[in-house]
Amino acid sequence: MLVKSFLVLLTLAAMSQLAVAEETPTPEGLEYCTVCHGSQLKGNANIGAPRLSGLPQWYIERQLLNFKQGIRGAHSDDDRGMEMRPMVSGLSVDELKAIAAWVAKTESDKPKATLTADSSAGKALYQSCAACHGAQGEGNKAIGAPSLTGLNDWYLVTQLNHFRLNVRGAQSADTYGQQMKAASVMVTSEQDAANLAAYITQLN
Amino acid sequence: MLNITRRQFLTYVGAAGGSSALLKANLALGLMHDDPYAGPVTVKPASSTNKPSALILGAGIAGLATAIELERAGYQVTILEASHRAGGRNLTVRHGDKIDEMGQPQICQFDKAENLYFNCGPARIPGHHRRLLHYCRALGVPLQIKANSCKLAYFHDDKAFGGKPVRQIDYHADVRGLMAELLWKSADAHQYDQLLSEDDVAKLMKFARLHGDLTEAGKYVGTERAGSTTDRMLEFPKPHAPIELKAMLDSSFWYGGLLGAELYDWCEPLMEPTGGMDGVVKGFVRHLKAKPVLHAQVKKIYNQENGVEVTYEQNGQFHTIQADYCFNNIPAYFMAGIENNFSSVYQAGLDSIKRGHLFKIAYQMKERFWEKEGIYGGISYTSDPVAQLWYPSHDIHAPKGILLGAYTWDPKVSAAFEAMTPAERLLAGAKSGEKIHPGYSKYIENGISIPWARMNHQMGCGMRMSPEDWDKYFHVLQKPEGRHFMIGDQISHHSGWQEGALASSEQALNQLNKLLSVNIDHGVNSHVS
Ligand SMILES: Cc1cc2nc3c(=O)[nH]c(=O)nc-3n(C[C@H](O)[C@H](O)[C@H](O)COP(=O)(O)OP(=O)(O)OC[C@H]3O[C@@H](n4cnc5c(N)ncnc54)[C@H](O)[C@@H]3O)c2cc1C
Repeated sequence: MLVKSFLVLLTLAAMSQLAVAEETPTPEGLEYCTVCHGSQLKGNANIGAPRLSGLPQWYIERQLLNFKQGIRGAHSDDDRGMEMRPMVSGLSVDELKAIAAWVAKTESDKPKATLTADSSAGKALYQSCAACHGAQGEGNKAIGAPSLTGLNDWYLVTQLNHFRLNVRGAQSADTYGQQMKAASVMVTSEQDAANLAAYITQLN
Repeated sequence: MLNITRRQFLTYVGAAGGSSALLKANLALGLMHDDPYAGPVTVKPASSTNKPSALILGAGIAGLATAIELERAGYQVTILEASHRAGGRNLTVRHGDKIDEMGQPQICQFDKAENLYFNCGPARIPGHHRRLLHYCRALGVPLQIKANSCKLAYFHDDKAFGGKPVRQIDYHADVRGLMAELLWKSADAHQYDQLLSEDDVAKLMKFARLHGDLTEAGKYVGTERAGSTTDRMLEFPKPHAPIELKAMLDSSFWYGGLLGAELYDWCEPLMEPTGGMDGVVKGFVRHLKAKPVLHAQVKKIYNQENGVEVTYEQNGQFHTIQADYCFNNIPAYFMAGIENNFSSVYQAGLDSIKRGHLFKIAYQMKERFWEKEGIYGGISYTSDPVAQLWYPSHDIHAPKGILLGAYTWDPKVSAAFEAMTPAERLLAGAKSGEKIHPGYSKYIENGISIPWARMNHQMGCGMRMSPEDWDKYFHVLQKPEGRHFMIGDQISHHSGWQEGALASSEQALNQLNKLLSVNIDHGVNSHVS
């Protein structure tokens, strides 16, 4: 075994330059997160796993807790959320905190726009969002509103539709989700959701 | 062309030139298969002074085969594999092995015994999968016959025949009988008189009688071909009463039940490596100089002027390596999460490959109770969610056996199993099993399940592309971009079969030879025309 790994090292050394990368390393046991959410949690639309790098630590922590408690990822119309829930349901609160701390440290390029929608109609809708999420989508920790820039547009669309259709924010235990649901009543169609997401992506 | 059908044309040729002319004409028209397979591609050998290097990303069947052919040509190969094991979807579990399901890993609880194993992914090889059989031969992987169908196994459907399981032989015999009776009747009612001569109609009716075991008067009244309700060694045989035509038409057995042994990839006899399908993986690894580097998760792939640079993470450490060529076996839908500098059309092609959902359960049974029912190997089909029960055809009459208790292809059904805990899955599977074999649950000692769309580093199986994407992107992905080649069953017309993975590897190595002959060695004979 020793000989074998030595040989492997030799081969690698022969063909490689071992570069010191500046990326945030993945803590042991959390490789799972990067399988779906991608390198440096840059997101992967093919799996429906959104970009997480750039989200505030407190928001990640709250959502992980929501998944753990079945506040998110329990609705049968939330396929991707249902895929996420078993990833955290067995973890302790402290473990979730540690994960959130790591997630907040990752860095990746902001995602490109993938939607073709009417962003000026979205801009008009965004006026009611700005009160909590800020004029530039910068977020406001004091009232629990996360930053919106750097989220994938397709993910914004899914979540806006989930709030609209009672898939997210309908549970009484979901204090912030309920607030968001109430605050997003002006999004009344899939088209609204797409327009709004297109505008938010422009804020990047 | 001439205004005749291909068949008519062949009849003329056959009459004029005898059978060898017929054979040649058949080949020319593509009706019969000239065997085009002459072993794997010979990659243009490296010069002894300047060995090119190749990186293989992913130690699936395609990656392993590509590695072995490149090593044979003198390349310096490095295989990076994200998982704790080589083989990808070719996975066999035994006592103590891990099924690395996302969020709920399972450890196999089977007794420690050689015959107690479960092929979680591939389990059967037909005789025309020439590439795979070549490697089994070349790598010394022993094969045995695997019964893929058993006439004494069952069909079951809650909504047909009062929910009672029906033996396949009974059903097959009755379907043939009833269909032959319809044929006989329409011939008798002069339906074919325009089409055929009187003589030929008589032959057709004779065929119908033989095919269905009909009476002189063209009636199907049951057949001894399906056995007897009496002990046929000591008493006159008495066939069971045939199924009613209407009940047969209402039953849902068309696909699994009738065609289970009819499709080309399932045509009997099938084979399996003795001791488990991972014998193929072990064979490759045994013969490779470069053993796969495990826990090495690829994070970045950059095409460069004259090579490829890849960064992977292993135990929290990043490593960047360069090589002359890169063969990428990673499931394509992961590539959007891996940094790269691919062209937008190449990336769009990768994104067009979608995740598939396959699901299996296996139980360790304390007795091989099915053998007492005359079932030795083969498959029972049911309309219940578990869809199929597979009986082992190896280690007959051993004290215990591993029975495949579910194999589902319907994405909705698979998704329902994916959403359950492992314990819930075993329970659901046992309930369905009871309907086919009353008392089933009491034989279960332990079990394990594998939802492929939830497997670490896999997240799917049976990759799919829409027909439009297929036209648009398949040829793009078959070609290298720079020095980067995509491989895997995903780059074949036969996703879901190891033969497809091997064909993709062969195709990529052909492309490499082309590249080499164009770029490097104009003077030397290349290996592709
Ligand atoms: C339930 C089921 C039944 C099947 N039945 C049969 C059968 O009876 N007969 C048959 O011939 N075939 C069958 N198949 C199909 C067969 O398993 C596949 O065709 C074959 O194994 C695919 O090989 P591959 O090389 O294309 O890719 P894979 O096996 O998918 O290999 C991909 C590899 O890439 C690795 N990887 C992923 N991400 C990374 C990363 N970031 N960095 C490094 N490595 C990474 C993975 O861990 C994996 O090892 C079945 C499959 C399933 C799931």
